[in-house]
Amino acid sequence: MEFVTTEEAAVQAPEGSALPITPLVAPGDRVLRGQAVASLRHAPGISLVSPITGTAAHVRLHPGRKLSEIVIYREQDGDAGAVRHDTAAAADDATDLRRLMQASGVWPLLRRRPFGGMPAAEEVPAAIVVMATDTRPGAPDPRRALAGREEDLGRGLAALGRLTDGPVVLCLPEGAEELLPTGVMPRLRPVIRGALHPQGASGICIHQLCPAAPEAPVWDMHAEDAAALGALLKKGVLEMSRLVRIGGAGLREGRSLRTHPGADLRQLTRRIVAPGGHVLLSGSPLDGRRVSWLGPRDRQITVLPEVPRRPPAHWLADALGHAPRGTPVIPTAALTQAFGAALPAAVFVRALGAGDEETALRLGLLSLLEEDVALADYVLGEGGQVMAQLRRILDRVQRETAA
Amino acid sequence: MTKGLWTRETVALLLLAAHGPLALMWVWYGGALSRLVLALVVIGGWQLVFMLARAQAPSLAALVTALAIAMLAPQDLGVLRLSLGITFGVVMGELVFGGWGRNVVHPATVTLAFLGFGFPAFAWPGFDAPVGWAAIPAALIGCVTGVMPVGVIGGALVVGGGAALTGALPEPVLLAGGVVLVLLVADPVTSAATTPARWVNGGLYAALLVLFHSGWDGAAPVQMAVAAALLASLAAPLLDEAALALWVARRRRRHGQS
Repeated sequence: MEFVTTEEAAVQAPEGSALPITPLVAPGDRVLRGQAVASLRHAPGISLVSPITGTAAHVRLHPGRKLSEIVIYREQDGDAGAVRHDTAAAADDATDLRRLMQASGVWPLLRRRPFGGMPAAEEVPAAIVVMATDTRPGAPDPRRALAGREEDLGRGLAALGRLTDGPVVLCLPEGAEELLPTGVMPRLRPVIRGALHPQGASGICIHQLCPAAPEAPVWDMHAEDAAALGALLKKGVLEMSRLVRIGGAGLREGRSLRTHPGADLRQLTRRIVAPGGHVLLSGSPLDGRRVSWLGPRDRQITVLPEVPRRPPAHWLADALGHAPRGTPVIPTAALTQAFGAALPAAVFVRALGAGDEETALRLGLLSLLEEDVALADYVLGEGGQVMAQLRRILDRVQRETAA
Repeated sequence: MTKGLWTRETVALLLLAAHGPLALMWVWYGGALSRLVLALVVIGGWQLVFMLARAQAPSLAALVTALAIAMLAPQDLGVLRLSLGITFGVVMGELVFGGWGRNVVHPATVTLAFLGFGFPAFAWPGFDAPVGWAAIPAALIGCVTGVMPVGVIGGALVVGGGAALTGALPEPVLLAGGVVLVLLVADPVTSAATTPARWVNGGLYAALLVLFHSGWDGAAPVQMAVAAALLASLAAPLLDEAALALWVARRRRRHGQS
């Protein structure tokens, strides 16, 4: 399969975290693939790395020195190599492994729960969940992404096992047992997940297999990234290639390709979009975001036709739609299935709507993030506010836990 | 972002569609359409008042409520008494809580209980067998589209069917019980919200029906069924709480934490 390097690429903060950073490059500097272009202000050991070799174009920061994007222009005369790391020490020592992952750009590929975002530098998780399944509509098949890389995956899983005292859970689709590493790994727990969304959503898996709590954080990582970690340990170079599926109703034809994180969505979709206005999303149609660059953890690009602006509704209907309390959620079988029947959906959604933190916590709020409840939002149509309500209540719990 | 279609009004429309067979049979076998019109006018009026006064969007579920009231209310009440009952049921049972979806008890149940206790001299309606049997397709449509809780209907079927087989429930009570089950008890909003509690909720309704039939002298089948529906829906939050406690305890045992 072809590997596409876009003419421009961007380094962005992982989803769910607004990171104060120290830029390490200035516009005009030459950067190598895998070279650190920024480090975190409060954890200088953690680097954000360039996905391509080229020239830094501009560094954009939000107020508070929070990273917006660092854009890099590709170097025209071929790929002039990548940054090589010394991996000898990381092979034995867990602390050195942590250092290596933070310096080489693997760390932002991890995500922690509760609350989401990148884990802190010294955090020890209660469990690590590696997702070799993705059931979101139109997601690329992880089996295809991992074909021929079973050895790297096994090495990556073994390395992840050294970061935690708990289990390393590998979630697989049905019929993917060939991905299982052959070596003896006592704490590896393979779990077969169903093929219907959200059975392969990481939050639902974590909710059912190893719930997260403030004192017991759970990390999750895509299996392709775990394989990249394994390859990094072997070769010293972090691969930037990932299998990405471009799909959606705004395309003439869908396609799968390999590209790097931070790829330019417009270039990747230029020749295949259908005529007319369209919307580019990084992520699935359920939880995608309207951005210009492929997100650090995203493996899907969705192109949707632009919805024509509706004529304004009657003022009364409009006023009712904006009533402070929207229309309530009616418990149906559709809502239960939107959570994969993993929790009492009606009670949970009602608790979220009412801001009832205590009930939501009892039902496993801390294992979930917005993308896990995106299907519920979709199912509920115009009235769906579940993602926003979940984020609001998570933020409140986070503030209270920190206090 | 694309959007699905399970808004409140979709559910109300599907519930209405599920009640279609029942309504058709009822009209065919001489249902009093005038009562349906009266119920619609009164409920519509109150929905309008609450829309203008409190910005509460009206819901098509009012049609379901009107159908239930028209089918089950005592006969020959007259316009004034019936309007009074509907007003009480719809305002105190639904609209003051924030409209359909936030109510605790089905407004039709409140109306019927109010009418039954307030005007005990009036006779309750009976159902011809075809009307009663039309509850089966109604329940099927409701369960297949997922707008009626399967557990409630299943629980009621298990207990009620068992009682019918042993002869504890004669046919008139069974027919009235089936119609009330579909119209009032298997309501997605006011029945229990967790699966185990739904089975218990349906079973409790059927058990109360059996109890009333064996111990309540002189009560009409519909009267017994409405009373059982009222008590079963009042018990639903308690059943939910118990089911949640069980769920959380099982999870805690499995994972060591919540």
